[in-house]
Amino acid sequence: MSGNPPLQVAETAFEKRRGISNVEVRPGYAQVHVSRLPSPVMEGRLRVLGAVADGGISIDFLKLTGSGLSFVVPEDSADLVSQALAQLDIHFTIRANRHILLVHAVNMRDEEGLIARIVLESIASGVRVDHVSDMHDRMLIVVDAEEAAKLKDRIEENLVGVALAH
Amino acid sequence: MWGWPLRIKVMKFGGTSVATPEARLLSAMRVISAKEQGFSPLVVVSAIGRKGQPYATDTLISMLRDIDPQVEPDAREMDLLIACGEILSSVIFAHTLKTLGHPAQSFRGGQAGIRTDGVYGNARIVSVHPVSLIKSIERGFIPVLCGFQGVYVPGDGGPGGELTTLGRGGSDTTASAIGAALKADAVEIFTDVDGVKTADPDAVNDAPTLRKVTYDEVAEIAHLGAKVVHPRAAEIAMNYDIPLWVKSTFSDDEGTEIVRREVFPGRRLTGVTHTGKLVYLQFDLTCAPEADRVALESRIFDLMAHYGANLFMLNMSPGGTGFAVPRSQYPNLSSVFDGLVVPINGTVYLIQIGHASRQVETQAGLLEPLGNVQRVRVELTEGCSMVSMIGHEYMQQPGLFRTVLGILHENQISVLQTSDSDFSLSVLVPEADTMRATRLLHDKFQLSAVV
Repeated sequence: MSGNPPLQVAETAFEKRRGISNVEVRPGYAQVHVSRLPSPVMEGRLRVLGAVADGGISIDFLKLTGSGLSFVVPEDSADLVSQALAQLDIHFTIRANRHILLVHAVNMRDEEGLIARIVLESIASGVRVDHVSDMHDRMLIVVDAEEAAKLKDRIEENLVGVALAH
Repeated sequence: MWGWPLRIKVMKFGGTSVATPEARLLSAMRVISAKEQGFSPLVVVSAIGRKGQPYATDTLISMLRDIDPQVEPDAREMDLLIACGEILSSVIFAHTLKTLGHPAQSFRGGQAGIRTDGVYGNARIVSVHPVSLIKSIERGFIPVLCGFQGVYVPGDGGPGGELTTLGRGGSDTTASAIGAALKADAVEIFTDVDGVKTADPDAVNDAPTLRKVTYDEVAEIAHLGAKVVHPRAAEIAMNYDIPLWVKSTFSDDEGTEIVRREVFPGRRLTGVTHTGKLVYLQFDLTCAPEADRVALESRIFDLMAHYGANLFMLNMSPGGTGFAVPRSQYPNLSSVFDGLVVPINGTVYLIQIGHASRQVETQAGLLEPLGNVQRVRVELTEGCSMVSMIGHEYMQQPGLFRTVLGILHENQISVLQTSDSDFSLSVLVPEADTMRATRLLHDKFQLSAVV
């Protein structure tokens, strides 16, 4: 290899930083909560999901609860959901005017205590949390539209850029 | 950028590819073949073998834990110990190459210029300064680098720094990071399967090998349980536009090429993955009025944060809150929560996990004179797995949840919780049903036809 020019080696930065990188607010959702389904509950849940699917409605962030289920739909689908569920003779509520807070953090399920800290911060903010869900790289929190900015500010102020408990 | 036209190929060999002399010979021949094709190969190795074998990482961990299972080893000490697995492996592999007529040099992560943050056991690479690797190549050697490790140089500048390990899939991450730092022509991850498959072959034995997948797809698959390549490796390769392959050491199958979405659009459905060893806890908070419920939730998540719990499949509803935690964390969390007393606004709440333990009954007896004592019962499912479908522009399909939950219900598989995103839909099922659930979903969505 003689005659080669001298080495030019520069340090290179690589992996994304730990912790919360960004908090994003997405407006325009409604949260649907179905409860008090008779036993066997799973069959009731399937009837609900079937009715919503037959209405051509796409749902997101499904969660199973003790006596029913909960999910999020685009706000402009709320009336359609209401019509679909009204046929089933079940107990349900639809909360319109919801925003979704998306809290982004790479590999967040591997970061010890991070998801719990986000939930804790949400509770401490006094904002009513309607729904939560987690993925490997983000967590979502459904709240009233009026309160989304308050929670976003609180999470950014107290958790973004804060060293994790290691 | 280097001043000469080096064509570097990073070749990473996993545990089974370096487990025996025969496997090492096969792996070494692949390296020599790359060299003969005009590449400058750079090898990254994992520790030799898998669980139960003498130099595997799990075996080394047991050596420390077995001294006294009640005493948790320091993470720093653990890192020093488990890094030995890759050191042994790299030296043996380098010498194997030498015996075949190709001089090689082994390197620890720190010697290769891999710097990390200071999180022992789960460090992240902050920079790579690969001057020693380049010099080694320049002198005609094949560098053989220990995967999974780096060095943390504290602010006070301790001489030599502190050895750190990169956590799960760390050797893949090493390979991608070195590939990016050296602007490699390719990074090849060699393993014991032909490439990225639509499902774990142990669950679906005819699961096809995907010829092309996008970085996004493979990152999602890997995050949700597929073990062929680690998501951090895929993310680094994507960010630095390094061609990434997953291939088998033991066959001549062309393997899987991982590319950008501009090259290959991805699929509506890519595969079904599973990941396990979870414990699901569902706190029934119906015994508490609204204000007390919020205070109870606050206490629960405060303790989860304090003890560094990793939460999955989180759920909060007016009736209660639930989540899964890794089985390895459960004993510690159980000892904190079972029998925990939380006084709120004149009511004493006593947390009971599963059936009442002696500790809970003792607490209840002691609290009885106080009068207003409410038990918060926690439904416990000890063995759970997360089975996930991965796809692109399919997860918003109306009726998808009904189809997934319906097929599992028809086959008597109970679903404890769900989670979904733009790219995946996951269900939490009893561990005993993991393989069956994977097969059922794979068949239902005809993933055997995917290529």
